Amino acid sequence: MGLTDALAGLALRATRVLVVEAPGQWPTRVVLEEKMLRRGWRPAWTPGDADVLAVCGVPGPELAQLVERLWEQMPGPRVRAAVTSPTAVTSALNEAAALLLDTPAHRTDARERAQKPQIPAVMDHGGHGEMGNHGMDHSGMNHGGHGGMDHSSHGGMDHGDTDQPLSGDEDHQNMDHSGTDHGGHGGMDHSSHGGMDMAPEGIPLAQGGEDRDGLGVDVLHLPLGPVLPFWPAGLVLHCSLQGDVVIDADAAVVDGGSHGVGIRSRHSGLVPAAAVRCDNLVALLALVGTQDLAARARSARDALLRGDRAGPQRAVERLHRVVRRSIILRWSLRGVLPLTPADLERHSLPDRCLGDAYDRLLSLVERVRAEVNGANPGAPVGTERVPWDVVPHLVTGLEIGTVRLAVASLDLDPFPAVHEVGHA
Amino acid sequence: MVAAIVFWGLAVVAVAAGVAVFVVDSMARATYALAVSFIAVGALIILLQQSYLGVITILMMVMEMAVMAVYMVMFMGMNPALMPMDMTHGKKTAIGASTGVFVLLASGALLIPWPERRGVPPEDLTNALGLEIMGEKMLVMAVVGPVMVATIVAGVVLAAGRTRYDRLGDDLRRRPADDPQPGGIGR
Amino acid sequence: MPETVLTTVPAGWAALAGIVLCTLAFFAAALDSALSARAEGAGRGGWLAPAWSTARLLRQRRRTVVAADTLLLRVGAAGMLVGSFLMVAVIPLGRWTLADLDVGVVWFNTVDVMVWALVWLAGWGANSVHGLVGGYRFLAHGLAYELPLMFALVAPAIAAGSLRVGDAAGAQDRLWFVVWMPVAFVIFLVGVTGFSVWGPFAAALGADVAGGVLAELSGVDRLVMQAGRYAFLAAGAAFSVPLFLGGGAGPFLPEWAWVAVKTVAVLAVLVWLRRKLPVFRPDRFLEIGWVVLLPAAVAQDLVVSLVVVWKG
Repeated sequence: MGLTDALAGLALRATRVLVVEAPGQWPTRVVLEEKMLRRGWRPAWTPGDADVLAVCGVPGPELAQLVERLWEQMPGPRVRAAVTSPTAVTSALNEAAALLLDTPAHRTDARERAQKPQIPAVMDHGGHGEMGNHGMDHSGMNHGGHGGMDHSSHGGMDHGDTDQPLSGDEDHQNMDHSGTDHGGHGGMDHSSHGGMDMAPEGIPLAQGGEDRDGLGVDVLHLPLGPVLPFWPAGLVLHCSLQGDVVIDADAAVVDGGSHGVGIRSRHSGLVPAAAVRCDNLVALLALVGTQDLAARARSARDALLRGDRAGPQRAVERLHRVVRRSIILRWSLRGVLPLTPADLERHSLPDRCLGDAYDRLLSLVERVRAEVNGANPGAPVGTERVPWDVVPHLVTGLEIGTVRLAVASLDLDPFPAVHEVGHA
Repeated sequence: MVAAIVFWGLAVVAVAAGVAVFVVDSMARATYALAVSFIAVGALIILLQQSYLGVITILMMVMEMAVMAVYMVMFMGMNPALMPMDMTHGKKTAIGASTGVFVLLASGALLIPWPERRGVPPEDLTNALGLEIMGEKMLVMAVVGPVMVATIVAGVVLAAGRTRYDRLGDDLRRRPADDPQPGGIGR
Repeated sequence: MPETVLTTVPAGWAALAGIVLCTLAFFAAALDSALSARAEGAGRGGWLAPAWSTARLLRQRRRTVVAADTLLLRVGAAGMLVGSFLMVAVIPLGRWTLADLDVGVVWFNTVDVMVWALVWLAGWGANSVHGLVGGYRFLAHGLAYELPLMFALVAPAIAAGSLRVGDAAGAQDRLWFVVWMPVAFVIFLVGVTGFSVWGPFAAALGADVAGGVLAELSGVDRLVMQAGRYAFLAAGAAFSVPLFLGGGAGPFLPEWAWVAVKTVAVLAVLVWLRRKLPVFRPDRFLEIGWVVLLPAAVAQDLVVSLVVVWKG
């Protein structure tokens, strides 16, 4: 027992927390991140890596269902923490720490939970909005016509004369297709594909489609968000992927955006606009992979929330200098989602979105700098909002890493639209 | 004694992994079963003291299987690790052909009058092997190399759907080029 | 060419070599977390954090996902650690070596190519979109860095007139190879970061795909894969010493100590660079690899060959 407890004690210091942010809970999440860091706890990117599932705020029905599934996917020892408000963070973390050390309880949990990963029985549309990296997400694929579809993806030559929907939602069409198309596979040994009609482990097969080079490639369906690191909380982007290229996308807000609360309404404190901008800066820099810059932006954000002025000013000044001069950062972001003035008009985007991701990164840093220095308060959060429903139109045809950079570079406001957020 | 045990061990692994290629029901497993088979063969070659050939066999085969995985998705596209599928096609022809080849090679190995070893192996086997293979044909090899590279490049150019006029415009002056996926140089 | 006298130690010493490699890997992990704790202003989690993370992952249960190919997944994860041990077998520690293979340089190359298979297997086996994207991202990076790395390895071999690692170290009596083949050295380090899936080459494990290949791994599987990455980084850094940095050459200290000092120095630089550089996006780096690095490596080989011929 002594050894087990010692191991648990050591393990506690490196705890990883999967943070779920309900719409409107931006301040809670940010405070949580800061308090975690003080303990040496780090955020987990997936349930597979998480010890603690921290839910910021009260999730709506759709998000609550997702939280359940994330909980199912955590390896254990696992602990849930309900962080209802920024002030509740410390006690929630203390409680989680105490629960993590309770080894007998975790043994019981391990015995009593489902022993094998499963696909949940209910597969409604909202059911696959999580991280998108589990077998379960394949379950959301709705591919009706597996039988024939899979043959065509093997042949790779039957696509020319079919008009199969890439989204795979229209089952009857697929079935037709599979019925008529078998003849085209004369050369293929059908008997060797004996098991084709089954869906192994309840997962329907992916369906093929022509990619941009005219090759027949399977279409996978991957929801990005709402629980994804460095992703606008609450936004769900249902993507159809061929390889790692998004060929089709559809955006939604979790729980229809109706369940969240405004950042301000629940809490008396005002959130400085610069802190929100800084947080988006953290996301973009972290996705590019420049860890030191992301860390600097994060500490500036936390300092701003504490009401510090001088610290963030220095940090942002330095950040601005580095970003402007870094050749390699420019190389990474140049050409990512270039937007012309005509594009801006078509999608009714604000002027600050002009150019590519590097231009937008620079403009973001410059706006933070202006706000921190108080020289130019800039437009308040919300007046120059990027509407989230344009995102699918912008990212279609991009590779998934580029999609992430593109979305982060748009500097979306936290959900729900926080025009009520005041200025410090 | 030890060498004999290792030899037979590796031989069994090579054959068993080779059989596994046709028995397993997933493309990924079949691909890497083949790689394991080749790794065992490479180790056998090392055992025969041809270290260079052995190591290079392993290197080439593992890399080849990894690249094959790229093509696997490009042309065959499958849900990862999901769909059980039979790894055999055209069984009768294949079994006939492989049995014939096996009998031919095995009888060759058994019936050939193997020469007695004369002298001792040279100090640096790799060097000696290189001279033996390339020695007098160095000029030919040196010419063949570039010709092969040129053939590959020409093949890709001929196969590509897009020409330089698509990329650079009719007057070849468009900079940067219009590519569906821009590269890292910014040309 | 000057002959170096290397003593091949009995196989039992492999245990010591393993311990040394693990220590170096731990040093790399500790330095990384210390740097990260400093940059992030973390309250805890400096030099000892890898020990705590190890405890955490040992305590964590293994999990799988629906229809995962667990065999391939675990072969991929555990293979990373095993591969790094195979790599150090041919690296001489001063005067001693475990295996004085006459094709040591090719052996190194072979083991690093194994990583192609391992990372892809781990990504494929998880049956997750993010893992799969990660696995293929690694192959894309591999296609970009591997050929330049191969040509970079050729340069010291030409200069030493041998594929034996000990001979390469011995051929640097007067001048370290790094001085007159700097391009090969830099490309070699690019390759080392590449096959360690480290820093700029960690797109396969990127934040944008929620950890990619690592997304579904937990418990021991994650531990061995992560440990394997650090061990590969350490092994690669150690290999640069006999190949480019004069092996055990140096004043005052014994040869083995110099090898250790140089290894730690190279390793520290590689670890430090991770925090400074963005991840090289595979689609962009591919062109850099083929249009910049490969010709540079070939040109370096040409220069080295000319020097060798000229000096007779």
